[in-house]
Amino acid sequence: MARLLVDNDKYAQPNASVVVDAYHAAIQELIRRKLDTVGGDWASFVFDKSYDLITAKDFAAIEAKLIATGHRFDYSAMISVRERPEVYKPAPGVGEDSKDFSFEHPEAVVAPADENGREQRGVGDNVVKYAKNLIGVALYIRSSDRVLDLLNSGVPADTVAIIDDSGGTLTAPILEQFKGVICAGGTVRSHLGILTREYGIPCVMNAKVSGIKEGDRVEIECTATARTAEAYQTGVEMTAKIWRLAK
Amino acid sequence: MGSSRISYAQLLETNNLVQASADETYWLCVTRTVQESKLFPVPAYMMLSYMMAYYRYPSLLRKIESRMSAEEIGDRARNAGIKIQNPSMGWALPGFYLLGREWLISLGLIRPQDALEDLVYVMDFWKRYQLSWQRNNGHITNKEAGHRGQFLPERRVQVFHADMYDCSQGDELHEAAQGFMAAASQYGFLISCESRISLHNSGPYKIAADREMIVRDFMDLSESDFPWLDGVASEVAYNNLTVTMGVKDCHFYLVDDWCSFESKPEFTADKLVGVGLYTSDTLSDGYIPVGMASREELTSTFKSLTDKIKDANNKLWRRIAGWSRDQMMDAGAITYFSIVKDLAHVAGVYDVNDWMMVDERAERFRPLFNDEYSRDALVGLCIGTHTSNWFSEYTMMQHGNGPQKLFSPIPYSVLQGDDYTPSCGPIYPGSSHLPAKVDRYNTTRGVIGLEEYNRLARAVRPPALEPAYRHLCETWVKYHAGEPLADELYRIEQANSRLLKGKGSSLKRADIEKLRAKAKA
Repeated sequence: MARLLVDNDKYAQPNASVVVDAYHAAIQELIRRKLDTVGGDWASFVFDKSYDLITAKDFAAIEAKLIATGHRFDYSAMISVRERPEVYKPAPGVGEDSKDFSFEHPEAVVAPADENGREQRGVGDNVVKYAKNLIGVALYIRSSDRVLDLLNSGVPADTVAIIDDSGGTLTAPILEQFKGVICAGGTVRSHLGILTREYGIPCVMNAKVSGIKEGDRVEIECTATARTAEAYQTGVEMTAKIWRLAK
Repeated sequence: MGSSRISYAQLLETNNLVQASADETYWLCVTRTVQESKLFPVPAYMMLSYMMAYYRYPSLLRKIESRMSAEEIGDRARNAGIKIQNPSMGWALPGFYLLGREWLISLGLIRPQDALEDLVYVMDFWKRYQLSWQRNNGHITNKEAGHRGQFLPERRVQVFHADMYDCSQGDELHEAAQGFMAAASQYGFLISCESRISLHNSGPYKIAADREMIVRDFMDLSESDFPWLDGVASEVAYNNLTVTMGVKDCHFYLVDDWCSFESKPEFTADKLVGVGLYTSDTLSDGYIPVGMASREELTSTFKSLTDKIKDANNKLWRRIAGWSRDQMMDAGAITYFSIVKDLAHVAGVYDVNDWMMVDERAERFRPLFNDEYSRDALVGLCIGTHTSNWFSEYTMMQHGNGPQKLFSPIPYSVLQGDDYTPSCGPIYPGSSHLPAKVDRYNTTRGVIGLEEYNRLARAVRPPALEPAYRHLCETWVKYHAGEPLADELYRIEQANSRLLKGKGSSLKRADIEKLRAKAKA
């Protein structure tokens, strides 16, 4: 079988991702087979014959082979799970089960209720320091269906949106109506962090929380020092507390 | 195949530019934020866009240069808030192309010496454009300038400085300007499918001992190149808007090639003390003031624009929420790939089929781009952990210290007979899952069709780029201020200025402050 340049790589190391390794091994096997069909002539293959010889159908077969082993892909966009639930891991808490859903991050820092009945349920990176802490009502927003409902019906007053998307597009039409945001991802420089800063909405990013359910009253320590770029680069911890308030 | 057409000097320079791009790409990827979205399959469309860039950029850049050189486009782009600034030209042009190349090398589908003449050409185009666009500071990138984005000539900075209206937290103008920038930022992320490609920040420019100015561009806001804005953005009156932002007691110590900024102390709304508003495009011959006749007009203009943008934002979101994954993939990949499309607009050779379609050579990879593989492959490209990235254990890469190179250098062995291939070939047909682009482009010359747009672009002759003025640079001004030719040059820039019209070339920064104080009195 034809040999590729990458078959003699002195320094190559395996990829940390098993999917990448599996895909690349399968693709290289595919290239060798196709190169054989033109007698191993790389010059005519690389930017000419390979365009017809290596096809979308070949790549789809590589995916099918991995799925046949029982592997299911992690998802990043909800549309991926919605269109092909058979190849992605399920997305809990975005359908009818959202009322009982809560983020349960192992890193969440929790503490018993203080004298004011505030039970710490996590921490996050404060985007902007404000004069007062923020109190509001938790509402999970994790899918475009939820956003569409809120766009049509209106965002309830006092909503503290709990989101696991640090981007600025999922909640684009309703973000301005949030009283506060707890985002379980990103950094203060993520798009959501940038937008809440521009709108003047208290927000903690990279939040690690536990036991906060929809409808809970929560308090964000947005009087904490905002996390700086240097703090991320040097690994210095600068966190703001997140409490669940007594009902 | 052969080695006769590429010289040793060309290879040395190309590998230097490739390495410079690699170093900055790594730094940006590990220090900037992770881009993610539950709405868009971001890593998947990014991977697709790199393939589009790899297969099409060489041919498209050659097509553009057949009409206008990279250096001339750089000169023209310096005087407009259009997309060929950052992150498009400072980083994405070489970055997208090289990320695509590296992924194909890691697959074994190409070798580091394949499409060699394409690679040499793309990097050379990039260098010439950047040196021209950034000629006032003499660097190729913001990174080279110590992460500073100063490219405007004094005559433009003075107009921005002079005509800016003062504001302070709590007043109506401050609130209107903040509201506009928040809405426009959000809309920009949505237009660009969760990327920051519609936004550009540059500067800082020192406008007083305690103040700096950041110039913020919000681009491609109206009906123009993107098919997904047809119908929803028709009420957004300007395709590009530039906000000049005066900031007090705050030093912007970093403006990078993704146009993120960092400041000490942290920039917060209370530090915003001045604003101005302009529009521009490839047909406008520089910046045109928007609502700048009075403070009241500027306030109401910001408010009106904010309302229109919010309306377009909500309409666009509803449209996107109904898209299929393939449509989201196409829109995101096209946004990324076409980040340098304004090069073609400036040259007057823009073609929808060139820029708004997925090339069939890239399209065939789509079945690989599920969310998980795309995420992991992208991370590998950004931090250099694919097989092709590893080099001798004795070496340490810039920033990361690992034995890696983010982008594979060209092997010099091609100069002594090792074979290489010159090019990936011409543009192949493309396709898209999105609706066809409506032939309607909102420009500073009105809403026109593409044929007219290209015709007008080819006819544009910016006065400041006439042979008599083109190379009257900042060094020349230093020694000729006050002379008739220098005054003519400055008056071109001052033609639309509220405070500087006709003032000429002798004013210094303190004189501008005096004029501002007098105007306020």
